Amino acid sequence: MNGNDPSFAREATDAVRGRLGSLTPAAWALLVISLAVLAFAFAVRPGLFVDNAIGGLVYGMILVMIALGLSLILGLMGVVNFAHGALFMLGAYFAYQVVGAMGLSFWAALVVAPVAVGAVGLAMEVTVLRRIYDQDPIIGLLATFGLTLMVQEAVRAVWGAAPLGFDVPRALQGGTDLGVTTVGTFRIFTVLVATVAVVAVYLLISRTDFGLTVRAGVQDDEMTEFLGVDLPLRFTAMFCLGAAIAGLGGVLRAAESGLGTGMGQTFVILAFVVVVVGGVGSLFGSVVSGILIGEATFMTPVVLTALSAATGVAAFDVSGIQGLVPYLVMITVLLVRPRGLFGEEGLME
Amino acid sequence: MTVLGPNESILDPREAALGTEGLVRRFGEVTAVDDVTLAVPSGELRAVIGPNGAGKTTLFNVVTGLLSPTAGRVWFEGTDVTDAPQYERPHAGLARSFQSNELFTEESVLENVRVVVQTAEYGPFGLDLFRDAASVGRERAVEILDRVGLDAAHDTLAKNLPHGDQRRLGIAMALATDPDVLLLDEPTSGMSPGATTKTAALVEDIHDSLGLTVLLIEHDMDVVLSISDRVTVLDQGRAIATGPPEEIRTDDDVQEAYLGGIREEL
Amino acid sequence: MSALSRYRVPVGLLVLVVALRPVVAHQWLLGFGQIATSMLIWMLFVAAFNLLFGFTGLLSFGHAMFFGFGMYGVAIAVARLDLPFVVGAVVGVAFAAAFGNLLGRLIVEKGEIYFAMLTLAVGEAVYFVVNRNPLGLTGGSNGISQNALPPWVETFRGQKSVVLPFAEVEWYWVVAVVFLLCMLALWQLLRSPFGRSLVAVRENEGLARAMGMNVDRYKIASFTASGALASIAGVLLEINTQGASIETFGVLTSGDAVLMAVLGGVNYFFGPVAGVFVWQFTAEYLSSFRMLNLPTTELALVSVDVSGVLQHWRFLLGALFVAVVLLSPKDGVWGALRDGVRVAAARFREVRR
Ligand SMILES: Nc1ncnc2c1ncn2[C@@H]1O[C@H](COP(=O)(O)OP(=O)(O)O)[C@@H](O)[C@H]1O
Ligand SMILES: [Mg+2]
Repeated sequence: MNGNDPSFAREATDAVRGRLGSLTPAAWALLVISLAVLAFAFAVRPGLFVDNAIGGLVYGMILVMIALGLSLILGLMGVVNFAHGALFMLGAYFAYQVVGAMGLSFWAALVVAPVAVGAVGLAMEVTVLRRIYDQDPIIGLLATFGLTLMVQEAVRAVWGAAPLGFDVPRALQGGTDLGVTTVGTFRIFTVLVATVAVVAVYLLISRTDFGLTVRAGVQDDEMTEFLGVDLPLRFTAMFCLGAAIAGLGGVLRAAESGLGTGMGQTFVILAFVVVVVGGVGSLFGSVVSGILIGEATFMTPVVLTALSAATGVAAFDVSGIQGLVPYLVMITVLLVRPRGLFGEEGLME
Repeated sequence: MTVLGPNESILDPREAALGTEGLVRRFGEVTAVDDVTLAVPSGELRAVIGPNGAGKTTLFNVVTGLLSPTAGRVWFEGTDVTDAPQYERPHAGLARSFQSNELFTEESVLENVRVVVQTAEYGPFGLDLFRDAASVGRERAVEILDRVGLDAAHDTLAKNLPHGDQRRLGIAMALATDPDVLLLDEPTSGMSPGATTKTAALVEDIHDSLGLTVLLIEHDMDVVLSISDRVTVLDQGRAIATGPPEEIRTDDDVQEAYLGGIREEL
Repeated sequence: MSALSRYRVPVGLLVLVVALRPVVAHQWLLGFGQIATSMLIWMLFVAAFNLLFGFTGLLSFGHAMFFGFGMYGVAIAVARLDLPFVVGAVVGVAFAAAFGNLLGRLIVEKGEIYFAMLTLAVGEAVYFVVNRNPLGLTGGSNGISQNALPPWVETFRGQKSVVLPFAEVEWYWVVAVVFLLCMLALWQLLRSPFGRSLVAVRENEGLARAMGMNVDRYKIASFTASGALASIAGVLLEINTQGASIETFGVLTSGDAVLMAVLGGVNYFFGPVAGVFVWQFTAEYLSSFRMLNLPTTELALVSVDVSGVLQHWRFLLGALFVAVVLLSPKDGVWGALRDGVRVAAARFREVRR
């Protein structure tokens, strides 16, 4: 297991300062050009621009909520949890059960679904994950892949394979007029909830005794246990927390975009991409890269459409480039910064 | 001969069989190897001693390219190999064994050695797809296993060997690279007194009859005194003294380093 | 070493291709033999995957892409560009090898976990591109199904055969010959000095490097070979399914390869063979299974409708997979079988004494 230190506040400032300080002229040029292109795209279609900027932020925050748990469990326990996408999906389906099937309020789902996902996470941790902390990380990946299959099949058995959806309360249905466009209230709500969740995890790990002892346990488990800390219990709690946040992400995603049996798999792969781009072992990196990838995914089509309209070159308007953007970002980052944006040397290698 | 102080040597490191110049390796705040300059002449059996955590293994790791140095150079037979990839060094003639039992665990003892002989034959990358590997390098592997006393264990899986035999298999594999300079990291660790004597004799035999230059990390002082030509003492990453074993034993600085350390702990 | 034990693998492969179809077609088992052809193709694919995972220690979660490259190479050449089959097959396989090589260079040095996550991501990206129907070549989500067979393949009542200048050969035997040749090549590769180096890398990468192996190059070479071999299976699959379908590129296909290999036993040459057999047999058997008649079909005292449960057999398989991974991740079905045989043989010897 690796002795990384997810102490965010310090990491964040150090990392940003380090990154900015080490920018090459080429990188500066790239930054300026990107900003210019973005400004241009804004000038051409301001409404679309703002719409997509907000869409990208929402999408990015959902990605962050999944990647956070993934990164946490990877950094602390050294396990790549393939089943994290399945937990995200379960959050969505539990919310559907509460709102769509049982007719209860969305606010209930917002609490019940993450708690229920946390409980599923608890079951997974106790029966399977706990056995693989000390093993080859590949074993963890395989075992959690098996768990994913089981969850996916269970979801199919209970809810069927057809896409589903449910309504959100009236209070969240409207929109706010920004002049150039209208922002859905639910999107703002999603960003707010996600931000609160992410900041809470941040603080929990960097500022509380709980976070400190878990991190100490990662550095030296024997010594920490010798000091009277019940580590397995804390790891379990950590895992449940990661699961619950992914579940919460699932609730928010499902309320806006509906739910289907493929969502877990799609999002866990994107979350892997986020973690790789952010740098394995850096929670701060996961947050930055989640938002970056969300924005890149939504802004690229806007920029390309604007460019093609302005230049008359149809080739710029690559239809459907959107879904490919996260992978392009990943490959670029890997070529330029093999350890990811905020990755530390020697982690997971 | 007299005891040399820190970083004095009778030979230019660049002309030694193995030399280091101002070698430093840090891990965060810890400086595991601190400005070490060594020159091991060809054919010498050099013991490297020092308390736990002194940086002996890290020194080996940097010299063999497993770790890159924070500063300083590594010289091997007159060439600067500091930046050479790790996998090239055994082919140049610089081989090592590990402090922990690093083996190809699921393979037979014979295969463990044979695949190394094969590697020595083909170089860092061999794309021979047409032969049956079982016959490639087999004779030499058998010969080496005879030398280290594992002739009865050819077909045993490496993971099923007793600890002492695993240590010897580690030496056999290092030998299979056909080295000029051999670095052995605590070959006798965890062995009974009897097995320790046997292994010490093996190291001496390798040194004498194959004419190798040997660097030996060793905790057993009887072994050090009986087989080494000269001894280098590491303490907190620094090479504090180098000299013949008897003189090292009575050297004030060395006594201070060892006994002082113990006094502090008490 | 006796000749038989030395050539155990070739003999075993021969027995496999000869016996597979009659065995699955036996009335006690499936009762029809068509599935044998697709089993052989999948066995080749999973064996190719396992060259990388079982024998080099690299877990690829995106191996479907190589399967797909072979398949789409042929389908695009034959159905879209009116080129001969051979051109499509060669280009598909060469593309797979080149792609594996380049991807390997980019990601191999980052360690095994990175490797798994990155192959997964790249596989997803490839799926995405194919699904966009670039230049109208791939047919997007519809795949390619029109005119996708080379002219020398004839279909009669669902049975395919290959028309050669001198004779007409059943499709199964064509697949069997390609399968045999590829598996023999794989067997030779694994027993060659190169193959033994791969195993050393799998066993202890750090030691291999310290003993003078350029570990990254071995991994890249293995990835290249594995990709090429998987794409040959894809070429066969194109003819077998009369076209190319986008699902072949999907994550589920990659995941199935992982599942089958681990279930079969990654440390054994015949592990993937066993894994594919068990998996596909179970899938086919259980999905045609509706009523559980006890004690026998003819003499049913109790009949239970089990279709509802068995429809979700993947759940049980997932559970079995987790159990295998936790208990003995490298042995699988084939390992258990070998142990069983060994124990039985020991018993037998004891009894005779
Ligand atoms: N990979 C590493 N990462 C961090 N610290 C290390 C590492 N390897 C060694 N050290 C530290 O370097 C010092 C020297 O260790 P080592 O070379 O193993 O000593 P020795 O072999 O003399 O017992 C110790 O303080 C050890 O904790
Ligand atoms: Mg040591």
